[in-house]
Amino acid sequence: MSALSSYKVLELADGVAGEYCGKLLADFGAEVIKIEAPGRGSGTRHFGPYGGGQADVERSALFAFLNTNKRSVTLDLSGPAGRATLAKLLERVDVVIDDHAVGWLASVGLDPATFAQAWPRLVLCSITPYGQTPAEDRLHAEDLNVFHMSGWGFHTPTAADGTLPPLKGAGRFLVSYEGGLESALCIVAALYERERSGQGEFIDVAKQEVLASRVDYVLGPMITGDADVTPSRTAFDLGGPAGIFRCRDGYAYIWLSSPAHWEGLRKLLGNPEWMNDLPPHWLERECTPERVALTRRHLTDWLKTQNKDDASAAAQKLGVTLVAVNNAGDLLRSPQFQFRGFFAEVRHPVLGTAQYPTVPYRMSATPVHITTAAPRLGEHTRDYLGTEPGGRS
Amino acid sequence: MSQRLRGGPLQGVRVVELTKVWAGPYVGKQLAFLGAEVLRVESLGSLDVTRTYGVSDINNAPGFRAVNPQKLSVQIDMKKPEGIEILLALLAKSDIVVENLRPGAIDRLGLGYEAVKAVKPDIIYVSMGMYGNEGPLAYQTGYAPCFAALGGLSSLVGYEGQPPSGMNMRYADSTFGTAATYAAIVALLHRQKTGVGQFVDVSAVESMTSMIGDSIMDYTLNGVVREGDGNRHAEMAPHGVFPCAESEWISIAVPTDAVWQALAGAMGQPGLAQDSRFATLAARKANESELERLLADWTASHDARELAATLQQQCVPAAKSQNAVDIVSDPHLWAQGFYREVHDQAGRARTILGPPWRMTRAAVIDAAAPRLGEHNAYVFGEILGLTAEEQQRLAETGVTR
Repeated sequence: MSALSSYKVLELADGVAGEYCGKLLADFGAEVIKIEAPGRGSGTRHFGPYGGGQADVERSALFAFLNTNKRSVTLDLSGPAGRATLAKLLERVDVVIDDHAVGWLASVGLDPATFAQAWPRLVLCSITPYGQTPAEDRLHAEDLNVFHMSGWGFHTPTAADGTLPPLKGAGRFLVSYEGGLESALCIVAALYERERSGQGEFIDVAKQEVLASRVDYVLGPMITGDADVTPSRTAFDLGGPAGIFRCRDGYAYIWLSSPAHWEGLRKLLGNPEWMNDLPPHWLERECTPERVALTRRHLTDWLKTQNKDDASAAAQKLGVTLVAVNNAGDLLRSPQFQFRGFFAEVRHPVLGTAQYPTVPYRMSATPVHITTAAPRLGEHTRDYLGTEPGGRS
Repeated sequence: MSQRLRGGPLQGVRVVELTKVWAGPYVGKQLAFLGAEVLRVESLGSLDVTRTYGVSDINNAPGFRAVNPQKLSVQIDMKKPEGIEILLALLAKSDIVVENLRPGAIDRLGLGYEAVKAVKPDIIYVSMGMYGNEGPLAYQTGYAPCFAALGGLSSLVGYEGQPPSGMNMRYADSTFGTAATYAAIVALLHRQKTGVGQFVDVSAVESMTSMIGDSIMDYTLNGVVREGDGNRHAEMAPHGVFPCAESEWISIAVPTDAVWQALAGAMGQPGLAQDSRFATLAARKANESELERLLADWTASHDARELAATLQQQCVPAAKSQNAVDIVSDPHLWAQGFYREVHDQAGRARTILGPPWRMTRAAVIDAAAPRLGEHNAYVFGEILGLTAEEQQRLAETGVTR
């Protein structure tokens, strides 16, 4: 029995945030019923990359990743018949996940302020850029905008060249993945409480706040006035020689901050002469730009002759935190990922068989399983709606 | 000094934190925000470095205070056998334990899963490591930017055709902590239904890879190894960050042709809205460099915040790239109650970043991070039932230092 197999979830979401949240629940066994617009389907079906490169509602790799273990039901919520059917479905579920704009839930009959009267046991989670009461000058937002409103954008990358634009972060949807993860943990906490209280709950997750809270260690001291608050692109950074360096076969990242790192590096490099010119505690206490530049110059010369995994293995054994900068191919080949079974083979009726990333937690009693590939559009409409009005594929 | 009930979904859940730095403590913070009673086990002899960074007063380190609000602190020296005994007695009365010590350290202390399970069979034991608890590379260690590099994020961030520049170096710990928190609560829910606890083994590197699942799928389905592409997005154009006056920047994302029409209208350049080079997404992607040049020329003389407001009125997703001054003074974050006031033991107010959500029946959040050992008497006296004399002996022999 999986941890969440006794719960039914209705996913009204149309974007990455809500679908990722639903996936996190579905992969633990929750029965997640995804409502999609007839014909068009979820918004994520219209985002690539597409398997085989061909744009098609059944070929989106994004959709395939986000919707494992779910059921697809097509239901037209734009008219009263569909909304009446939705109301009946709501009798049968424990959780609703949505990520439409503020106001949409009320328009389909699920007003956050009043739904508890009709469905007192329902846990309703809404994920939006700025929460249920956005300011007037932030009604329209994509993930890129939220990333920049949260503080991460302006400070990405580290050690920014101020003449170049700040960067969006990894991939297209980091903000939504973060919002979905935070929502999933709120939902399971609410279910935990519901087992005792019998009551549902409204959960209002704001993606800007989720992202800002991820940098609490840095922002907290700024809010209290304990740390300088400056408009510098490097305001989130720590100094020092840490960074990404080119290797023979790619890139490596090295972190150096303590005397122990420095001594490990000395052994790793065979006690080179230049290291003797710097005091042993300089990384902690006397970190000057000249010393950083000198160290980076020597690291550059050394690492360009090294292979990233070999250099990393040698460094780690000496206590030096040097790691490979991995790409997708490296991850598929990672012996550690293979050991933990991070990738799962999934067979999809259109996309074929492929390796899918799973989850970062191994659970001894309730491991995650991907038992079914993402559903085809409307694949389960008949199962759930029978002849109810509004459901058509 | 009984702990009063604060409400919230996890009221009644007791968590013991054996953690250091940021990722582990972040788990405790999230559980405390949800109503759990979170006990940070600390010792003067092996203080968390975040209690000492940049300060002489271990009770006043700003970074520590930002990540540890609403927790309780109890001093137990884990290097002493009697300290381990006391800790096991405490774990026997707890629901969740979270540890992120160096690989193997917790086992050497005699506090591994089997040892804790022996005193508390249904414990939820959350173990956090860069690469997880076991496996061929589990011995390796690193800090946040190492997680992002290993997990595949750093290679995706960069200017087109340039070496990867990576995420901001602060990214990773808190995301790793959030994944661990989710798993811990799922385990709690499972235990509530079945009475069965479990071992939860969380990998920082994998928690990073989970944030780029769709990019990974492009490789596993199509063999495409993605690299940094500046600020571009396959389904939106323009999609970027453009210069404004005073070294500020504005983010603009155009998801549809209609939004492009609105943006072109706002730019006020005759013929732009009708220009066939930009009429469709495919056309804008084909002429994206030229499009970005036109936009940057236009944005460069504007004030970033005013321009974002103007574009919002035209329904264009646009936002200032907020610097630290902007974030700290963001009126929305204050109005939402995201920045909120708590109080320390002496009644002094302190502002913290609260939870990024609102809930119908949320827990009360009103306490600042604890002083070292602030809750010794509560833990030793009320939870463990030790007499005043026993507590005094433990203090004198350094077990509760």
